[in-house]
Amino acid sequence: MNDKIVENDIFLKSLDFFKDAFPGRINQILKSKEEGKKIVGTLCLYVPDELIYACGADRVILCGGRSAPIEAAEEYLPRNLCPLIKSSFGSVIDQKCSKTKSCPHFGLVDLIVAEATCDGKKKMYELLNQYIPTHVMDLPQKPENQNALEYYIKELESLKDVLEKLTGNKITEAQLKNEIKSANKTRKLLHAIYELRKKDSPPIRGTEMLKVLQQMHFLSPDEFRKNLVLLLDELKVKKRENIGPRIMISGCPMASGNTKVPEIIEKRGGMIVVEESCTGTRAFWDLVDETKEPMRALAERYLKIPCACMYPNNRRIDQILKLAGDFNVGGVVYYTLQFCHGYNIEKYRVAEALKKAGIPLLSIETDYSAADTEQIKTRVDAFLEMLE
Amino acid sequence: MISIGIDAGAATTKAVVLRENEIAAYTIIPTGFDFRKAGEAAYREVLSKCSTGDSEVGKILATGYGRSSIGFADKTISEITAHARGVGYLIPAAHTIIDIGGQDSKVISIENGKVVDFLMNDRCAAGTGKFLEYTAKALEISLDELGMLAEVSKNPAKISSMCTVFAESEVISLRAQKTKKEDIAAGLIESIILRTTSMVKKLGIKPEVAFVGGAAKNPGIVKALEKALDIRIKLPEEPQITGALGAALFA
Repeated sequence: MNDKIVENDIFLKSLDFFKDAFPGRINQILKSKEEGKKIVGTLCLYVPDELIYACGADRVILCGGRSAPIEAAEEYLPRNLCPLIKSSFGSVIDQKCSKTKSCPHFGLVDLIVAEATCDGKKKMYELLNQYIPTHVMDLPQKPENQNALEYYIKELESLKDVLEKLTGNKITEAQLKNEIKSANKTRKLLHAIYELRKKDSPPIRGTEMLKVLQQMHFLSPDEFRKNLVLLLDELKVKKRENIGPRIMISGCPMASGNTKVPEIIEKRGGMIVVEESCTGTRAFWDLVDETKEPMRALAERYLKIPCACMYPNNRRIDQILKLAGDFNVGGVVYYTLQFCHGYNIEKYRVAEALKKAGIPLLSIETDYSAADTEQIKTRVDAFLEMLE
Repeated sequence: MISIGIDAGAATTKAVVLRENEIAAYTIIPTGFDFRKAGEAAYREVLSKCSTGDSEVGKILATGYGRSSIGFADKTISEITAHARGVGYLIPAAHTIIDIGGQDSKVISIENGKVVDFLMNDRCAAGTGKFLEYTAKALEISLDELGMLAEVSKNPAKISSMCTVFAESEVISLRAQKTKKEDIAAGLIESIILRTTSMVKKLGIKPEVAFVGGAAKNPGIVKALEKALDIRIKLPEEPQITGALGAALFA
């Protein structure tokens, strides 16, 4: 009686790979490390994968979505800090953050390529640098400024130098173009999958899609893409009946291990059809222009990511309204991590815009603990009842 | 046939019997630890109040924080939807509901008994009945006394802590500073009202405004809320049962 998810829900075979990818990927990294490959850790979408792979290195995302490492992190970081920052940091400093050493990839990383996004992350990187060499890439905070693009290109040039020094390899234009082409293929596949979610009976749930996107920057791009092809093929012939209200999630990233809110939404009878999030559209929406000089083309594409750390960030609001229309969304769940000032403050303007467009909004601010599960259920129930 | 609505609240469990769309009986009991037991006790009690047997019972609907523990209910709905329906039934002209309960406080915009929009306080007890209950304890008085005392205050103390635990310590330091009891009481009520009115303003106020939940039974709070919003508030005869009534109406 509690959870309303359809009982004989369809089963997607191709999802198994994404769900069980962890051990295989760690072994793969261990092996390539033995062969002399350098491993780069990242924590943000603003760091272009293309540069890392064109340099012959591999990368893993270090963003933490589990609550277990937070306790260790709080010896160094304030309690009133976003759980993603604390969880990521805690995983690095606490080598035995679980009995199974479930985070061995942190010990595998040769260099962290971080980025100047929010204040919390920037300050955390200062501490992180004491454990693992960390290069922090600067970002122009006003991306629409005249000089922003040139500045960002320079930052990418510096990153290129850092990576070349790390690996001893030179990034050639041909290699970079090749990586751009492959990354665009992945983006197009994700677009094709999202296209299917626009249908009246979307073949994939938000909780399932999240499992896929949480692996996007953990798996190697080739492996990720190969399995996206299989997923897309399977989705083309599946559909789901009797879905509940169509929901868009908008807001903070949901790093691997964090599935609380989408799970509640879908177990209570909602159907998430799109996520305006770093584990959603922000990860793949824009393509890199393959006809342009590659460094410039990269900079142009990555600077378009509408993160709430940017000013002004009207692009994000435009994007939310567009997605709501394209995916025929009944309501938006605005998701923020506790103490994430950027997304929390930006909520006001998003709420204003949605109200004007007549789209209902439910706002949920939470962390990684289960303490507020019942409160969230009440809100979600009321929201879904309102939309039905 | 009758239908029954059970509101398994954090502090109290409420049950309403509806016969031919009229309230035949209701009951309010403390929840205690076990939501299920309280639900069963409320069910028994409300049936005996209208001298009705099990065989006459049609549908049972549960709402409230512990709604999923009421195993004998046919269906559950959220208390937000339930309050909207219940208030819509009692006060058809209501467009805004303010509910200050034991566990949370919420503001709901309604249209013909249906939820249009709502806001709910965050996870902690700030701005809820629990806040007053705890802080009244720090003053060594009951909740009713708190409301009455507050009314005679000429100079309400400023309570800046939103957190219930911090506010309790703040009350203790105010006592140490020899602040008058009535001024602390008025300060506490003012602080909860401030929290509520900011939610009301965020959602937009549209008369009539109905006030429900346990806190609505406290005249001091009602007066303070009317003053802060500069509006006359509509109170149901029994402000604690609108959730259970709404559930019964859905059954």
